[in-house]
Parts: sequence; structure tokens; C-alpha cells
Amino acid sequence: MRPFEHSSVSSAAEAVTALSGAKTTAVIAGGAELLSLMKANLAAPTHVIDLKPARDLRGIAFADDGSVRIGALTTLAEIERDGALAERAPILREAVRDAATPQLRNMATVGGNLMQRTRCWYFRGPYTCWQKGGDQCYARGGQNKYHAIFDDSPCVSVHPSDLAPALLALDAAVHIVGPHGERSIALDELLKPPTPERRRETTLAADEVITAVTIPAQGVSGGGAYIKMMDRQAWAYALVSAAAQVTVRDGKVERARVVLGAVSNTPRRLHHVEQALVGQQLTAELVAQAAQQAADGATPLEHNAYKVQMARELTRRAILQAAGVEW
Amino acid sequence: MPIRVITTKVEFEGQVYEQRVVMEGDEPAVWGADADLRVVGKSTPRVDGRERVSGAAQYSYDVNLPGMLTAVGLRSPHPHARVVSIDVSRAEATPGVRAILTRFNTEGFKNPNNGMDIFGEEVLFQGQEVAVVLADTRQQALEALPLINVTYEPLPFVVDAEAALKDGAPRVKPGTQDNSVSDEWPQTYTRGDVERGLAEADVVVETTFTTEANLHNSLETHGGAAQWDGHTLTLWSSTQDIYGARKQVAAALNLQQNQVHVIKRYMGGGFGSKLGAHNAGLIAAWAAHRLGRPVKYMLSREEENLAAGYRTPTAQTYKLGAKRDGTLTAIDLKTVGNNGALPGWFPSVAIPAKEMYLCPNVRTVDYAARTNIGSMSAFRAPGVAEGMAGLDVAMDTLARALNMDPLELRRKNNTTRYQIVDKPYATKTLLEAYDRAAERIGWATRDDEARRYPRGRNGSLRRGVGMASQVWGGEGGPPAQAIAKLLPDGSAVIMTGTQDLGTGTRTVLAQIAAEELGLPLTSVRVELGETEFGVFSPPSGGSMTLSSVGPAVRMAAVEARRETLEIISHLTEAPVDALELRDGAVFNRETGKEMGTLGSYLGQLDGHEITARGMRGPNPDDVVVRTFGAQFAEVEVDIGTGQVRVLRIIAAHDCGRIVNPLTYSSQIEGGVIQGLGMAMTEQRFIDERLGVSVNPNLGDYKVPTIRDIPEIELVMFDRANEYANTIGSLGAGEPPIIPTAGAIANAVAHAIGRPVTGIPLTPDRVLGFLSDK
Repeated sequence: MRPFEHSSVSSAAEAVTALSGAKTTAVIAGGAELLSLMKANLAAPTHVIDLKPARDLRGIAFADDGSVRIGALTTLAEIERDGALAERAPILREAVRDAATPQLRNMATVGGNLMQRTRCWYFRGPYTCWQKGGDQCYARGGQNKYHAIFDDSPCVSVHPSDLAPALLALDAAVHIVGPHGERSIALDELLKPPTPERRRETTLAADEVITAVTIPAQGVSGGGAYIKMMDRQAWAYALVSAAAQVTVRDGKVERARVVLGAVSNTPRRLHHVEQALVGQQLTAELVAQAAQQAADGATPLEHNAYKVQMARELTRRAILQAAGVEW
Repeated sequence: MPIRVITTKVEFEGQVYEQRVVMEGDEPAVWGADADLRVVGKSTPRVDGRERVSGAAQYSYDVNLPGMLTAVGLRSPHPHARVVSIDVSRAEATPGVRAILTRFNTEGFKNPNNGMDIFGEEVLFQGQEVAVVLADTRQQALEALPLINVTYEPLPFVVDAEAALKDGAPRVKPGTQDNSVSDEWPQTYTRGDVERGLAEADVVVETTFTTEANLHNSLETHGGAAQWDGHTLTLWSSTQDIYGARKQVAAALNLQQNQVHVIKRYMGGGFGSKLGAHNAGLIAAWAAHRLGRPVKYMLSREEENLAAGYRTPTAQTYKLGAKRDGTLTAIDLKTVGNNGALPGWFPSVAIPAKEMYLCPNVRTVDYAARTNIGSMSAFRAPGVAEGMAGLDVAMDTLARALNMDPLELRRKNNTTRYQIVDKPYATKTLLEAYDRAAERIGWATRDDEARRYPRGRNGSLRRGVGMASQVWGGEGGPPAQAIAKLLPDGSAVIMTGTQDLGTGTRTVLAQIAAEELGLPLTSVRVELGETEFGVFSPPSGGSMTLSSVGPAVRMAAVEARRETLEIISHLTEAPVDALELRDGAVFNRETGKEMGTLGSYLGQLDGHEITARGMRGPNPDDVVVRTFGAQFAEVEVDIGTGQVRVLRIIAAHDCGRIVNPLTYSSQIEGGVIQGLGMAMTEQRFIDERLGVSVNPNLGDYKVPTIRDIPEIELVMFDRANEYANTIGSLGAGEPPIIPTAGAIANAVAHAIGRPVTGIPLTPDRVLGFLSDK
């Protein structure tokens, strides 16, 4: 890690001011992500600005219209502990419960969690891979057990967040402040597969800061579930994860959101699976048939074909669990 | 005192060595099974627990000396390359940098254990040192590192074992005929006639089993801190073998052995990978010697994962033949191991096939490939943990083919004799271990519907129960020495040259001495991990520490007691035979009266310290001493996702007398947990195109977490092995890791009704077994 100067700000606006025009300045919140990037020399800021004193960016609030606002500095542990949130959106507690470790969840914030770079071992290792400006994705023909089965970009990495698939299933919006003021975008506008011009999984500009995510009232309607598979029982990124938020009325599926994690560059919403469910009588057979399509279009790599079966099975389980049916 | 020089046989990690031993005097009589012992055999908290948990214990990393330089290595990114040139000028000019070692300024500096240049003209694996920066601070050294400009000429490489052994494969070591690690490999062994045995069989099964590279990941990394005072080189080495490290450092620096002093008072794990000073320790010593300043060089976690060794990954193919009643007629094994780039000692995977089960016809061919990967190093039951898993998985396959209970198949092929050199085992309680562990896990109900399908046949969960056996040495042997001193205050100091790897050696040696000296444990201090005492002990490896050093400590304590009682007899005119030491006091056995504290006598002697020596006697010739055991595992498999949970492990091992049930339990549990990592989660990933490891860190190389660890239940034996040595104890370090992976693999095969052909049993692999036709 290179030496750097450290200072703090007490609002997002101050952070934006500090960031504007200063290419070697980074904002730190929990540090769970930035420090690991700095240790691996993937980030080498000369100035690190601590955003934690901005207290108004922290906390969970419920509006009268039924929407939920989660400040960007809210930690994963706070999400895990918040009983009212767990009642409204149980999927969020399920999503963060198996994320990282208790120590990391105490530090890691919502904003930082969404802004994580991939954990691809070539990206994190000493290889000039495509995401780092190189001309090849080393994982594509290398060790790719943990990589994408959907081919969305020249890079086959996956986004590591457990929170993001759950938030996507809740139709969450991301609130951002930058030099030109505030803007709100859907989560799948923040997280997008990298392109040759933008070789990262996020669209946040270098001088912007996330202030909050909000979930509309409709987003939390019905029941939700998040299921994560790991290759050990704790402290591992998802092999595959599935998030589902399902509203059932009079035995029929009224609304459904189904999202897979760790199968593509960014969390993958399964519109076609949702469409196969909506308007239909909820039965185990219906869900099984819909879930069977979860990996349609997948092109697995040498070491990750197992994700196809896992994606289908977790999709099935997550939908059933969200709908309150025991699988 | 009569001096004798005896030749005896000592086994270390599966190989038998002749050993010449000097005996001064005679060992005491064996503590028999019915010996009445007060301290030995009692659960005793560690005597150094407070130091360890409070941070007072000084590990090699904690050594900080005035003026000390910190060393940081620059390592090859290539699996094989020629180091053409190194430009250090910019790095040398940065603040705090005092020296930079490269192949161009360290001529003749070799690792004496393998004869290789420390900084070679060729780097043979990713992570091999190319240069080492010595600076006032670690940060300064790290800042200088990227300024070193190395010109490499990349060379052809090979990282896969099978590929390395093929004709035309790139040579890891130039000029060799092939990539076998040495002329002694492949090792072949035959007994009887395998072809005939297979022909005579009613049933023949063929199985393959693969194991992955497991990394030791000791929490304390390899390395050391060194200081040269003009005559003596002191090395605070992270080593399991201070005497071995001393010899190695002396040879590397061209010093006499007695000019090198190696210290290892507290250890943060070794597991077999620290049987020497390691290159990092040698570099610290060499630099301290040349620069005249203390130097510390401890590896980072990534360096530890690339250059500190691993358990050899194997591909094993078994052909087993048996009669209809289960009697084995043939074992035919071919195994290939990937041992990395450097010459040295290599483990045999074939030991279980040769020894575990009764079989007249055995053939084993054990290939050891040299590849462009950092070299393997011994890892807790090296070869045997892998080989036992492969053999016992094959045995279960045979049992299925015979439609026979797998445990019954083991019982049927139990042997009371050592088959490699026909001799009886001294003791063998394995059948009892099978029975007691089977009872505990409920073997009889393993096929019950309700147990196998906890959510019914339509649910996705399947449970299974499996088992595997264990054979290992653990006999230990000479030479091992100890000194017992009784001090003027009536307390004792025990000095040995062994090291406490974290297993509780200090505690059990204190218990043995306290037993014989009639002292409370708090009055016995154990000093170890110093070559300066001049009390030789063997390496702490091969499960031989207690069974080698324990008897030496006991003899020293007995001799010290004898001298003490003679002195007290002179002081009191009481007959020596009537005197007894108990609870730190002197008693007259005839009158039953307490005659005062031990200190009240020894304090009269004007500072005189009673010093007695003890040594470990020879091993028996006529019998083979072994530890035996078995483990049983119950698992739950989710057949929808491939996820395996290990629910229970029953561990039944006979390691002779248990000196301390607490430290014994820790040993067994630690072994099971490490075996569980091998079976379930641990795997190094190599990119074969690049020849590099992609997961040299504790995030991507997955050791088990506390959530992965099931209930571990011990079946205790605690029976003195009266043939083995005077304390009746055998080693418990390696036995518990040997059967774990096989037991889990067999339990998974039982659960899913499909063969298990490799470990670790991560979900992707299990889904693969489930989809195998």
C-alpha cells in the first residue's frame, strides 16, 4: 500500500467538492473494499477522504407512503439487525446474513457494497486483464469456476455483492450526488456490464457519491427470499445466489421479481421467468417450469457448468420460499 | 555410569533409518498399564496458556533487536525463467535501503538441504526469490521493491504432473532424463503375485481418486530473525527442528554447528512444513552474518502460499480383487504425485496400500513428478492421509460390488502382522476401535429410511455414514535427551532441545517430570527450543515428540530424584530406601511422617543444583509399534445443489497412554479439522497456461470456518503401550488427519449412492458425481 493523506468531510456535498478535478482522491466509508484494493495496488489514492462523519447518510427510514430509505453509510450489520426492516423486507436480512464475516459486516456500508469491484482472481492478482485495460480476459480460458455463465462483455467476472441481487428484486433506486446536483437511477442503471469504454461494472462518475438507496412501497409487497450457495459455510462469495420477491393474490402470482447473483457481470434479473409466473396459478409445477428457464442463454465456461443447474434450482427454491411455499 | 553405544531403527514419516545412540545409564522400568500415576493422565491446562493468549509469548515474528533490518523478497512472476540481469540502482538509492541481495552478489550461497542456489540463474516456479531488499523498515523495503528491474528470459514450463511425466515435456531441471523427482522414483513395491491375486478374485473393482494441493497456512509464516556477534550466529527460526536448522545454517554460512544457536520457544504452527530453517531463515542468517546487523525475514501470507510448501496433489488408481466372502486377494496401485520444482524428500502415497489391510498380493507404483510449482513439503501424515483416503474409498467400492457391509470388509481383512517385513504388531486394538466408533455413530441404522431421507424420498436431502481406517507410526525413538535440575528452592527445571509446536509439549513434559519428582506442576518449569542447552532432541515431526522426548525427561527426573534422595539421606541419616518425594515434600515411608519441604534440604547446599541427564532408549526389534484408529462420519448432502454438510465425526485412535486428555483432545480435533479442510474446502488453483497459482491467499484458498466444523467426538483408549517406551505413549499428531477425508468421502458416496472420485467435496464436484452416468 502506498502512503496517502487522510482527511474527513461531514457531508456528501463536501465529498463531491473534494473529488472534483482530483483524480487521485478516493472516498472511504467502511473501507472493506477500498483497503483491499489499495493493498493489492489496484487503487493508489494520494488522498483518502473519510465520509463517515456525514451522519445523515446513515440509517434506515420508513416513509408514510410505504417506501424505505437506506442511507449509503448504513452498515450491513445494521441492516441485519433492524427488526422493522426485516419485517418489511426479509430478503435484505437474508441477503446480508451470509455476506462476508460479522467483522466485515460491522464495517461494510451499503454504498461501498454496491461499488465493489469483482473478486475475480485475475483482476485482483498481478495480471493486466481486460478490466484493467489489457487485451484479454484471463479467466475466460483459465481458472473460471467462480465466473460468469452469461456472456455479457469481454470480461467474465461476476459482481460479488449479496445485497445487490436482493435490492434489484426490490426495485431499488440509487440516489447520487455529483457536481451537477442530485440524481436517482435504478440499481440496474448503476450496475452494468463493462464496456470497452467503461471497463468497470458501475456507472458512477469519479466525482459522484452515493447517498442512499430507496425501495418503493410496491417493491416490498408480497414475500421475499434470498438463497446463497457457497463452497464453505461462511466467509465466501456466492457460487450462485437467487433473490425473489413475489406477490400472490387469490392463489395467483400477481407480481414477481427474480434475480440471480454470481452468474453474470452484474446481478441478472430474469424477466422471462417472471413473465412465466405472473397471472398464473401458483403451483410447484409452475415454479419448477419457470425456474427451468433460469439459465436460458447461458454459455458456461470450462469449470462452471455446475452453475447452470445451481441457478435453476436456487431460482425454484427462492420463488417458492418468497411465495411462502415450502420446497 | 556405564556408557553404551547402541544401533536401533527409527521411523520418520514412513521411512526407517538406522540410528546410533549413546546411552548413559539405564532407563527406568516401563510405566505399565496399571501404574499408579498422580499427574500423568490428568486433564491439565497448558502451562504456557497465559503467555500464549496474553501476547507475552515471543514468536519469531516478535523478535526486534536494536538496529535490525527488515528483509522483503522480490519474487518471480514466471513459472520458469532465466534471470538475465537485475538492475538495483534505483532501489538501492531509496531511503533506508541497506542492501539488496541477488544472484550477482551471493555467489556460493546455497540451501544445503537441496544443494540449490538460494538465488539461482533460473527461477523454477512462481514465487521463487529473485532479490531480497534489506531496509531499516518494512515500508522502506516495500517501496524499493518495484524499483528493481529484472530482465527475465521466460523458459518452457510444465505444472501438471501427468504432463510433466510425458516424453518431450519441458524439463524442470536441465539435463535430467525426465521429470521424475529423482532416480529413486517411481518407487515400486511388490509382494506376492498381483496378477495371480486378481485372477483368483471373484470380484475385481477399479477406482480412481484425486486429491488436491493443500496448503499448510500456519498462522506464523516461515522465516526468522538473525544476529551475528562475531562468533555466534543466533537465529530465532520458525522451525520444527532447531537442531536441523542449526546444521543447515552452519553449512550454508560455512560455520561450525556450535557457532550457530537456534531458538524456537513458541511456535505458530508448522504441520511438517518447517523441518529446517527455510530459505527465508537462511537468508536472514546469511545477511546478518555479512552485514553485521540483525536481520528479520518473515514471509507474507502470499509468499507463504507460493513458496512454503503444500501437500502433494495425487491421482490414484486402485485395482482391488477379493473373494466372494470379502477376503482380499490383490491390491494394485498406481499413483502420481505433483511435487513441485525442488529436490528433497518426497512422501509415499502407497503406505496404506502396503500395510493397512491383510493382502498377500500387492503391487504399488508411486510416481513423483517434478513440476514448475513451489516445492511440496511434508504436511501432517504426508502421503498417508492422501493414500488412506484413496484406499478406503476403493474399499467401499469393493464392498458395494460384493454387496457387503464396508465395516465387515475391513474386519475381514484385519491383519495382526506387519506385512512389509513380516513381524507382529506390538499391540493392535483396531477391531475394538471399529466396534466402539460404530456403536457411537449408529452404524447399524445407517441404511434406515428415516435416517437416509430426513425430508422424505421426495426431499432433496440425503444422509450417509462412512468410515475409514488409520495406521501410522508415532513410535519415536532415540536420540533424545533431557536434563532435570533441582534448584535450591526445591523447584525443578527440565531442559530439552525439543520444540512445542503448539501441541502442548511443554505441559506434558512438565507432567512427566512432576510425576517422578513428586512436585506440584507449578514447581516444574520446562525449557525447550534452544540449541544452546546442548540437550539434543529430534525434530517435532512424524508424531515423535512425546514418544521420543517424554521417556528422556522421565529418565532425567528419575535420576535427579535418586541423587536428591541420596543427598537427603546423607543430611538426615534416614535410609535412602525409606525416603520419598511427594507434593514438594520429603516423606519417610517407614514412619509415614513428613520431614519438611524439598527446598528445606536443597537450600542447605549453598547453591548446589542437582543435575541429571536422561535419554531415550532404543526401540524394540522383535515387534512393530504402530498407532491404529478409525473415524466415522455422518454427512448430509443436498442433491439439488451439491452442498455437503458434515454432521458428526467420531474419532477412535489408540495412541498408547494419554498423558494429558486436554492436549490429546486438541490434537485429535485439530487433525480432524485439517482433514475436513482437505475433504471439503481446501484447493489450490493453478492456471496451467500461465503456470501460476491464482489463489495464494486466505480469501480464495478456503480453510474451514467454525461453521464448517461438526461435532467431533472422541473414543478414548488411553492404554499404555508397554512395548514402545518407558512412558507407554505414542504420537497423536498425525493419526487424526489420516482417516478423516476417506470417512467423509465414503459417507458422501453412501448418501448419494454414487462413487466419489475426488476431493474436496465442493458443490460443483458433488453435482458432477450426481450427473455421472
